[in-house]
Amino acid sequence: MKYGQNMSRRDFIRISSLFLAGAAAMPVIPAGILSGMGSRPEGKTDGKIVYSFCEHCFWRCGIAVHVSDGKVTKITGSEHHPLSNGRLCPRGAGGTGLLYDPDRLAHPLVRETRGGRQQYRKASWDEAVTIVAEKLYKIHGEYGPGAIAMLHHGFGVSFFKKMLSEIGVNKIAKPSYDLCCGPARQASVLTYGYPSDTPEGFDIMNSKYMIFFGTHFGENMHNTAVQEISEAIRRGAKIAVFDPRYSTLAGKAEHWLPIKPATDIAMMQALMHVLISENIYDKPFVDQYTVGFGELWDSVREMTPEKAAEITDVPAEAIRTVAREYAFHAPAAFVHSGRRTNWYGDALQRIRAIHILNALVGNFRMPGGVVAFQKFPLPQPPAAHEHPAYEKEAYSKYPFFPQDEPSNTIASHEIVQQAIAGEIKALLIYGVNLPETMTLGRQAALDALQKLDFSVAVDVLPSEVTGYVDVVLPECTYLERYDDLDNGRAFRTPFVALRQPAVKPMFETKPGSEIARMITDKWGLHGVFAPTVEAGLDKKLKLAGSSLEEIKKKGVLVMPATDLYRKPGEPLNLKTPSGKVELASAQLKAGGFDAVPKYMPHPEAPRDYYRMLTGRKPMLTFGRTANNRFLGDLASARENEVWVNTAVASKHSLTNGEYVHLKNQAGVVSEFPVKVKVTERIRQDAVYMVHGFGHSSKQLTWAYKRGASHNQLISRTDIDPAMGAVGFQNNFVTFVKEA
Amino acid sequence: MSNRKNYGMIIDTRVCVGCSACVYACKSENAVPEGFCRDWVVQETSGSFPALSMENRSERCQHCDNAPCVTYCPTGASHYDEYGTVQINRSRCTGCKACMAACPYDARYVHPEGFIDKCTLCRHRLEKGLETACVSICPTRSLNLVDFNNMTPDSRALTSGKEVYRQKEHAGTEPRLFWISARNKPGA
Amino acid sequence: MIESAREIISTKINPGVVPHLHIWEWHIPLYLFLGGIAGGLLLITSAMIVMKRHFGFGPKDEGEGCPCLAVRIGSVLSPALLGLGMLFLFLDLAHKLYVWAFYTTIQPTSPMSAGSWILIAFFPLAVLQAMVVNRKYVEGLGIPLVNSLIAWGDAHLVKVALLNAHIGVGLGIYTGILLSFFSARPLWSSSILGMLFLMSGISSAAALMLLLAPKDERHIYSRIDANAIWVELVIVGLFVLGGITGPANSHGAMMHLIAGDHLMAGMPYMYWFWGVFVLCGLLVPLLVEVLENAGVHLHLPPIAPVLVLTGGLVLRFLIVFAGQTWHTFM
Repeated sequence: MKYGQNMSRRDFIRISSLFLAGAAAMPVIPAGILSGMGSRPEGKTDGKIVYSFCEHCFWRCGIAVHVSDGKVTKITGSEHHPLSNGRLCPRGAGGTGLLYDPDRLAHPLVRETRGGRQQYRKASWDEAVTIVAEKLYKIHGEYGPGAIAMLHHGFGVSFFKKMLSEIGVNKIAKPSYDLCCGPARQASVLTYGYPSDTPEGFDIMNSKYMIFFGTHFGENMHNTAVQEISEAIRRGAKIAVFDPRYSTLAGKAEHWLPIKPATDIAMMQALMHVLISENIYDKPFVDQYTVGFGELWDSVREMTPEKAAEITDVPAEAIRTVAREYAFHAPAAFVHSGRRTNWYGDALQRIRAIHILNALVGNFRMPGGVVAFQKFPLPQPPAAHEHPAYEKEAYSKYPFFPQDEPSNTIASHEIVQQAIAGEIKALLIYGVNLPETMTLGRQAALDALQKLDFSVAVDVLPSEVTGYVDVVLPECTYLERYDDLDNGRAFRTPFVALRQPAVKPMFETKPGSEIARMITDKWGLHGVFAPTVEAGLDKKLKLAGSSLEEIKKKGVLVMPATDLYRKPGEPLNLKTPSGKVELASAQLKAGGFDAVPKYMPHPEAPRDYYRMLTGRKPMLTFGRTANNRFLGDLASARENEVWVNTAVASKHSLTNGEYVHLKNQAGVVSEFPVKVKVTERIRQDAVYMVHGFGHSSKQLTWAYKRGASHNQLISRTDIDPAMGAVGFQNNFVTFVKEA
Repeated sequence: MSNRKNYGMIIDTRVCVGCSACVYACKSENAVPEGFCRDWVVQETSGSFPALSMENRSERCQHCDNAPCVTYCPTGASHYDEYGTVQINRSRCTGCKACMAACPYDARYVHPEGFIDKCTLCRHRLEKGLETACVSICPTRSLNLVDFNNMTPDSRALTSGKEVYRQKEHAGTEPRLFWISARNKPGA
Repeated sequence: MIESAREIISTKINPGVVPHLHIWEWHIPLYLFLGGIAGGLLLITSAMIVMKRHFGFGPKDEGEGCPCLAVRIGSVLSPALLGLGMLFLFLDLAHKLYVWAFYTTIQPTSPMSAGSWILIAFFPLAVLQAMVVNRKYVEGLGIPLVNSLIAWGDAHLVKVALLNAHIGVGLGIYTGILLSFFSARPLWSSSILGMLFLMSGISSAAALMLLLAPKDERHIYSRIDANAIWVELVIVGLFVLGGITGPANSHGAMMHLIAGDHLMAGMPYMYWFWGVFVLCGLLVPLLVEVLENAGVHLHLPPIAPVLVLTGGLVLRFLIVFAGQTWHTFM
């Protein structure tokens, strides 16, 4: 075999456009579907509707895929699915842009060296799968299962997870834990004894007062949450937003408090101080259902609004006002824990502070407060093979890393570091564009990819990562395949949802279920998966008293609404060590961490540098949509801008609309220039740019060179010592004018 | 009750987040060519730091009762229909662009095939008793389709007690899009 | 209002309206210019015919009812230039195959509908008049129907010319009205625009005839031109003042034209307007012609008429472009 031999380093390979959809099969891409021209008469979207769920973000809304003549013409929100409720966000509507992306991977590709030059060649599925199976088997044999790992993002990973667990590989990480939801999940475990979920457990719709720290619903279009916030606004709810930037959500707020970045915990402590010192917290609830109040008060006693005002740059009176209004509207009030919660490496404590603020007003399981949504109880068929020894093995070195999540046993940066250290020899990368994913920044990702003995990427698009692996396996999109059943979402009406193909896989792409089966077959492990993916789904559904045939009709099985609210005097039966809401966490204390959240100062920007904040545009989900030209078409979606306060712009002689390069504190200069947006909507000590732009892969013909890469400018990361999440907002940039 | 219909929209800018789902829904529904849109979203911020205010709104053809595009169209291609909407008859449109110059809302564009195109208020869906594509996808329910000749109690309640405006009303166009101002206090 | 006090993010992408209306490019200004000259030529030639036939004024009679050579050429140029202008108008249509739709309806509220009929109505009498004054060439072709038409036309030439004079004025005004009915475009939305384009059309037409006329007839057209320029200057003044003193929409649009830094062919509107149009297109030729008429012979090449024509062309481009690059009625 030629691949991988004598390959001291893995050159980045620009995948030949001959191997991509555009060249491979122009006739297969329905002419004009994307452009909308000439494809069909206006308004003729009749035809069949296939109910499935979306994969353009993790929320997984139900979609109604309208198919006519074997082509997807439009995607709308499923009226049956509780998370979409008939409505859909722009990204969900833009699925056709992925399905008919001319840049799609069309064939399995294998790295080879010819004439001293590394390149990909087209391989048959059998050949590519054989290479993957043999390589993994060999490394497994030589170094044990611990030398193999998987990074994943996307719902279709379940088959690969199962495939790897068959050979005892359980080093599995999802970068989204490190970057996004991890701190909120673990803070909830430590405070309430159960992990937070999606949608987050807040009774938004019935709330009268909502406080948000930095989270920007409306710009992150989490369909259900946005629907509920809108309903709450219609019903008269008030909103307070702490954010250095005037976000869309801040635009809806009664109070926008442009807090100095990195001082949130001080603000939360001050809010607690006001609640307690003014005796407007829910004393009966705190007395009966919580532990650690005394320790908490000791920790916030000094954090007066006046002191917090100095730290946070928010006037003391405003802090008092928000705290009083919050207490006034409680228990139909909450502080939201947000998404993409890890900013400075102390997010576990910050979200803990949020949960404490919630507990103090006694909003737990109250209308308009914190609630615990339920999941659909789907019985799992017994596993074909048991690997108890491996399943129990804990991989992450972080004491408060989840121990109960088979799809996330280790932090993704630990995998990157272990790959760099040579401990991990083989990596399966499912849907993660590692160089552009925020774990430890771009350089560490490239170092890791260079060091591996073997790597395989399962992807839909020729994203940057596919240029650094040994084998590329083209998966079909979520609109062309079955996946596992989705009962991972908890909501008011528990449900289980089906992903089913609306159209047949295009080109030579295959669904993940089939790819995983082919690999296990090569290993001689037959019968790991059901004979067909449909049969497997049917079997699972039969256990739940339904069938594949039934769920296909609406794409979802929905239970009646559960009772979300507690009765007076009802015991909470929480699974925390104390059985109560833990204001002070004995677990954290035992692990050597603060039992109650404490504000610690974070690094300040060097002179003429500005803290780089990030977020998103409502029509884009970072990498998933970066090359989606249907979504990218709109004027505000085409590139990212760097938001610069008017005064800062004038200091640096920047004009609105001009292009500059950004340079970070470590001297890294952005590969591409970015457009300056001179604005009143941001503080003078920070700039803001949307993540997911500035792609360097020329094969992403739409995304290439649009805007600047936020990821490239991350040189410093702050890892939460308790639970392993990665903060990256201690990066600072300045402007480099175009020569 | 009136038999003649007069469709328009009541748009609640208090809840709109400017996500643009309406735009993509329209583009798919109506096969709007790449590089063009029939509706669009505007996020307008006023004031100076930190005293800022914002309005998000989804805009489109206003289906004016006194539409300058219809007035100015030399061939009758732009016309009012029985739904009270303004439509373009493509087989009478010369592409002279007078309607585009006449429209105070810049709602029209030249379709790559030559005729002038704009929002039809999804007339083909109205005919089937459906709401427009943009209304039916809107996650915030900011968009509301209303027959102003047959207002339901629900559609009346949308605006009652609230500050409502129309765009460029002083142009005399009698637009049929009504906007619930973002300046309304919570719970208005 | 402070400039930065309003920030707008829009998703709108439609070319032609974003970032501003630029749906009409060179075709329309050229059409308006040629239409204006055609109207002006028809008015002047008709007036010359009436003066000669009815009042006996004018240069030497060539014996065929035609006052002079310039009128002979002008009569032919008028419909020819309009035809050329209409070709540009046609080229501007985005949906050319449907051009017939103009002529299957009359839309009473649409100036463009009226205009499309005026354009058609223009030709029969203008062509007839051109044939009558050029009968010595046309009759040579020996087409009986044409000859009898010419005979009829010659018999009623004064009436035909009177009618044509009105049609010429109508066409001249129409080229301005076409724009001025667009209340959505503040710069165009001025009812004096019709008069401005009429006078510009007349001065340009006079300048053109001045170029074509034999030496001994030039003083006539020079005089017509000087007077037309004088009136045009007054109208330009009123147009500008009306804009400046108008409400925010008109004021802004007028300032955009007369003091704007938006570029047209690499030069700001302001320089085009004051430097090229007002100074070179109106004041300099006016001075030259007044001096010539006063008997001060400058012995210059015919720069005055060329400048007037250039000014007239620039005026159409300026108005059409500046009207589109300023924002819609607010």
